[in-house]
Amino acid sequence: MPTERQLEFESLVAPHLNSLYSTALRMTHNQNDAEDLVQDTLFKAFRAFDQYQKNTNFRAWAFRILVNTYITAYRKAIRQPQKVSYDDLEEFYLYKKLDETVALQETAKEDFLENFFEDDVKDALENLPYQFRLVVLLCDVEGFSYNEIANIIDAPLGTVMSRLYRGRKLLQRYLWNYAKEHGYVVNEQG
Amino acid sequence: MAPAVSKKKFNCQDVEKKVQAFLDGQLEKEQVLLIEEHLDYCLPCDKKIEFEKKLRFVIKSKVRENSHPKKLDLELKRLLNDKNS
Repeated sequence: MPTERQLEFESLVAPHLNSLYSTALRMTHNQNDAEDLVQDTLFKAFRAFDQYQKNTNFRAWAFRILVNTYITAYRKAIRQPQKVSYDDLEEFYLYKKLDETVALQETAKEDFLENFFEDDVKDALENLPYQFRLVVLLCDVEGFSYNEIANIIDAPLGTVMSRLYRGRKLLQRYLWNYAKEHGYVVNEQG
Repeated sequence: MAPAVSKKKFNCQDVEKKVQAFLDGQLEKEQVLLIEEHLDYCLPCDKKIEFEKKLRFVIKSKVRENSHPKKLDLELKRLLNDKNS
């Protein structure tokens, strides 16, 4: 029979399994590794459950363990230097590209977004360097605040913001490349 | 202490610099008002902001998994029933 403590853990963690798995899948790129990552996270969270302070943010606490587990397991793979230039990234990249290339009406621009295949958006996101991918996922997909993310990834607020802003800009660039490659837009300017 | 900038107006570049924090709801009230004031008369910026909102919605809805493998539920049960844990 599970103890009261075990049942409490279950009731706290169960509502977040989709979120944890979703984030794990985008970080590891495949189902088996994502399952392993969440499984390790559950195990560690349960063992550390005494350190969780009642009525504090359990979701952020669990994500912090997920992120630590991910970084420990993938330390070697993610230590590769990321050679991406971020200086020339601008805001509204996708909008501006659509505007100058195909001169779409506003409704058509929004339809263009709807027409992206799920897999294209997932691929574009999964191609982001992991530091950027992680904060974009935590903020834009999981809805954590800047402060919560700073706590989850154990980094200063300024770092969270700079990774988030750059990550989003880079994602727009990747999405535009997918759109061109897959013929969603015909680039009239060659 | 008086704010360093007051009574100023935002132009399109100011909006562009602040757009992400604005959409994240992380700007000071004064700056939010300056952006909203700009959007009231600048249609191009207003359109871009609407597009950004839509893009965020699309990314969230297409990227998020709405289920998880059954294996994880079983794993959780196993963890809870483990006498040693």
